[in-house]
Amino acid sequence: MKLRPPQEGDFTSPTHGPRVSARIGLWLGIAFGLCFVTGLISHGIQHPAAWFTWPSRPVNLYRITQGIHVTSGVAAIPLLLAKLWSVYPKLFGRPLVRSVPHALERGSILVLIGASFFELLTGVFNVAQNYPWAFFFPTAHYAVAWIATGALLVHIAVKLPVIREALSRRRTEQRPATGALTRRGFLLTTGAAAGVAVLATVGGTVPWLRNVSVFASRSATGVPINRLASAAGVTAADSSWRLRVGEVEFSLDELRAMPQTTADLPIACVEGWSASATWSGVPVRDLLRRAGLPAGSDLRVESLEKGGLYRSTTLPGTHTDDPLTLLALRMNGEELTLDHGFPCRLIAPSRPGVLQTKWVSRLEVL
Amino acid sequence: MRWVIGTLGVVLLGWGAVELLPVVADSPLSLGGWLLGGPVLHDALLAPLVGVGGAVIARVLPKPWRAPVGAGLVLSGVLVALAVPYLWRTFSGPVTPGLHDRPYLAGLLIALAVVWTGVVIAGLLGREKRGKRGNTPATP
Repeated sequence: MKLRPPQEGDFTSPTHGPRVSARIGLWLGIAFGLCFVTGLISHGIQHPAAWFTWPSRPVNLYRITQGIHVTSGVAAIPLLLAKLWSVYPKLFGRPLVRSVPHALERGSILVLIGASFFELLTGVFNVAQNYPWAFFFPTAHYAVAWIATGALLVHIAVKLPVIREALSRRRTEQRPATGALTRRGFLLTTGAAAGVAVLATVGGTVPWLRNVSVFASRSATGVPINRLASAAGVTAADSSWRLRVGEVEFSLDELRAMPQTTADLPIACVEGWSASATWSGVPVRDLLRRAGLPAGSDLRVESLEKGGLYRSTTLPGTHTDDPLTLLALRMNGEELTLDHGFPCRLIAPSRPGVLQTKWVSRLEVL
Repeated sequence: MRWVIGTLGVVLLGWGAVELLPVVADSPLSLGGWLLGGPVLHDALLAPLVGVGGAVIARVLPKPWRAPVGAGLVLSGVLVALAVPYLWRTFSGPVTPGLHDRPYLAGLLIALAVVWTGVVIAGLLGREKRGKRGNTPATP
């Protein structure tokens, strides 16, 4: 037998072709859509434009949107691979380029596939806090998301007639499998693979699946600590520590003597894991009132941390005005440990974990 | 309709390219590698491997076992891929209390054991079904 490069017609398996491709493409499009929208939400909360507001209720809202972001991305991995398999013979279509539009179309598909892999791979590595690259992840992941979505829309526009045809056609007879799977078997396997991928990871944010999800980033017990005091260069504050709110200072004993609010609130990380705890502390709203500052002000929250990206964060007015936005002194009935933010930390409903500033030293009206 | 979707796509694509410029200027090689790595590895390595795997399964295995084993290999591949960021940690941040501290290798092995138990059960059930129908051709 003489070896030659494969040709489009060599791929006889019924797992190729528009009927498979359009179906998996539809699922993949839904996963990408969810991932893009929830990603924009998370970006908007962390880098708010003037027109952007994010509600502080329900308290689990960010936990849900970011859980969907990571989970839809994980589900998209097997869907993307299945989608590419369904169209793999087209890679060997000749001539390579028939016309200028055809060249543009092939080019846009390369952009789409490159950007899609980039988003999914850097995403799952980032969730594992694993960074085998030289760029700053948030900037690159955000920019390439627009590229992937744009290229996907171009692809949908080009293929719309094929998609319509493939999805509306009545049942045809099953062609026999020439490899391991029939068309139906391939679709079922793809669905199962997406399901297994979700099950293996989603326990990071869905408590009752914690022990099923072998690749959940957080382990089974306790509230995880993302940044240790030692890593942040923070040592235990002594009795000279004061919380400064505007021009007024409060000692830790004064904070403890104020009326305390207790609430169950989640820490919901941008990396998709979440953990609920019972927090007790002084509502930020009360501190503003005592300091004679206007209610519902945007605040800058500063930490004892010397450096780091999240040393200082902005707390928008919708959150400062929420009675559940606390400067927490206690977690699950015990005084905060140093690693959890002693002497006090911010905990606000529906907000990314990186913005729940620990070791708070100062609140300032913006 | 198509033109609206397509134009919107081009606009988003262009916006993304503008947003990406600082990354391009900063670390072009790393970025380029991650952008091209996926398509190249898929087209040159993964997809051929899947194709050959499917052909081998169809030749070597009796019919009731083909779909279960094929599906089992797909699920195993996805599980192994998801395990990589947890098992290869040369470039990772430090493990902190409660994060990234699970026994990931053991978890992977257990998940694979569950998948392949399912494969064996599906294969045996499929064989029995064919046996009952009374048609047991060795090859289709």
